[in-house]
Amino acid sequence: MEDQMKSLLRQLVRRIPIRFLKVTLEKWGRLTVAQQQNIDFTQTKWALADELIAYSEENRLTLRHITELEMIYVIDNPNQGMWHAFQLVDPESDAPAVELMQFKEQFKSHLNELVRNVSVKMKKNTDEAVWIRIAWGDSCSRPNNMRPTYVVHYLQTPYVFVTRLTSKQKTLLSQAMIIATRHQAIKDAHLSGRNFSAIRDLLMQEYEQVFPAKYPSALVERNQIAALPNIEREQAEAEVNRLQMACEAFGGGKLPQLQSVVYKLETKFKDPSNQTFTEREKPFNCVVTFTSKNLLESLRHCASSGIASTPITPLLSSIPRRGRNYFVITDKVSGPSSQINPTV
Amino acid sequence: MCFRRSSVWIGVAKMVPARQKSVARTPNSVVQRKSKIKSYRQSYQSMTAASRLCLTRALTSLWLNTSRTAPKSDNILDKVDPRQLASLMKTEWQLSYVTPLYQFRYTQLKSYSRQLSAFMAAEKEQVEDGATQNFKVSFSVVHGLVETDYDAETILIQIYSKSFFAGQNEHQKPVWKGWLACVNGNRDYINSLPKEFISLPLFGSSGTEALTALVKSWFQKNFDCCFGSLEINHISLQWLVALWTNYHAESNIKQLQMIWTLPVQPLLQVSYAVNPVDAWELWCSVKGDQPELVDLSAGSLSSVSTALGSAKCRGQIKISNSKCMTTTLTLLTECALLKMPI
Repeated sequence: MEDQMKSLLRQLVRRIPIRFLKVTLEKWGRLTVAQQQNIDFTQTKWALADELIAYSEENRLTLRHITELEMIYVIDNPNQGMWHAFQLVDPESDAPAVELMQFKEQFKSHLNELVRNVSVKMKKNTDEAVWIRIAWGDSCSRPNNMRPTYVVHYLQTPYVFVTRLTSKQKTLLSQAMIIATRHQAIKDAHLSGRNFSAIRDLLMQEYEQVFPAKYPSALVERNQIAALPNIEREQAEAEVNRLQMACEAFGGGKLPQLQSVVYKLETKFKDPSNQTFTEREKPFNCVVTFTSKNLLESLRHCASSGIASTPITPLLSSIPRRGRNYFVITDKVSGPSSQINPTV
Repeated sequence: MCFRRSSVWIGVAKMVPARQKSVARTPNSVVQRKSKIKSYRQSYQSMTAASRLCLTRALTSLWLNTSRTAPKSDNILDKVDPRQLASLMKTEWQLSYVTPLYQFRYTQLKSYSRQLSAFMAAEKEQVEDGATQNFKVSFSVVHGLVETDYDAETILIQIYSKSFFAGQNEHQKPVWKGWLACVNGNRDYINSLPKEFISLPLFGSSGTEALTALVKSWFQKNFDCCFGSLEINHISLQWLVALWTNYHAESNIKQLQMIWTLPVQPLLQVSYAVNPVDAWELWCSVKGDQPELVDLSAGSLSSVSTALGSAKCRGQIKISNSKCMTTTLTLLTECALLKMPI
């Protein structure tokens, strides 16, 4: 236990940039004021870790205290690693009544039934989110605290966000999660990204949405940089129309910083000038990835500038509407036109 | 916008050169030149004077000179020392074009190695207040990396940092690598150069920009040449896609990836990763069609890659399989010759 504590603390000091370390230690509050003032943040990280280990031993801190420090850092800086979104489905009648204490107890006991060696730590954040840290072990090994899974769940909502989870652990987590939240199943939301708040905001639709309006005056006023009297009215109207449609599809103002979307295409190749290939039975396999610093804003600009045609194809508008960024596209089996249709 | 795969593909696939006849022939009369500076200015572009006004025409007519449609299957490993070949592969090179070198002698490589080392030591001292990093330069010839009798042999330059462990240079990794090559260079153009000039139009470098700049300036001073950046435009990138895909039957390309950049705020990148078998079958189905270029309208192709190699529009190239070395360098040699100032 002693060794695990030391190596976890060392790993944390290595991970946390110096500029965050001071604040995180203050928030943690396990060191005395004198100890905190004594710390020399200009020394090497190795020496810094030695100093913190010494203080931790002095204060008789345990592994649990160190995991607490890790949670504080992760909650404040969640944009590390890949976050995957899941959605709970089919709630039972008592699902809305689940409160934190009950959830905590149920989740821990069910997970402990499934895996003997597992260590769970929970922390409720100010924004109602429950942060869960899971260190996995198995029947013959102790929980590995060096590579924990993080789960974020907003009570009374169907949304669950997970990072660092193997497929084997996924089954275990899903079971414990659905029992503790009183749901019948959990499904992949096909949304993932490095920016935690972006995927959360997108899935929970926490951004400015624009609805169809007959007089889109507010939007026009805000987005028109300068009135250009020389532009013909007709053209201006088309532009306003495109902008309105772009904002209806992707949202107005600042949008969640989603960075990529993936389309896995399994459709037949269609090109009137290439008969040989169009007649091929097999689908044409291709993966199309869109990447940008802010994908939704890029796509909105594509639509408003006319690079993407309006009305916007469901393939693009599905990203915010359905809150996902992974699509498999197949040909519709029936129907003469065999339209491209996003499916699960 | 993006699911018009067919049009993208036609863009790529229809780049197959068709049997066109209108080659812009150059009159054989070589203009008398008064100075050596003027002489290299008689550039490749002026050779195709008839099509100078129309770039596409110039491109297609130039490509006629090459055998890219049916790449020769002769094994490069039989011609070139595998160790030297290995040092050219799996490295991402930043490309430049170079105007012909004046009085460059293959017999003087040892002396050039010494001269460049000394030059670098002197320049470094000026720049970095006498910082004592010393370099050892080695010039070598990569014999056999040519296609015609007109091509000059490839030169490989490697720069090692002189450390305390001298004498272990064979295992030491160079801090900078670069090469000058000419593969399937235009015969008329090479023949038109005066005897004292050697045309090695393609320059690739890998290492810090500061070292590249030093090497370039040494070459400029000693061989009266000049360097310029060599971007790989979208047509050439599409050509590379076609070239590499064509090798799939012999050597798995694993995956074909093409990246387009769209000019929106923030910048949007669209990448296509195509199943290798599908890419190859599509390539086979369109081979021999009439050329007709269709662009992914608003964007520009910025990068292509397969398991055989990768290329970016800003002039970076990486070749990972020796089989496509010659054809790739042939294409790039042409790009370099075209890019040279008139």
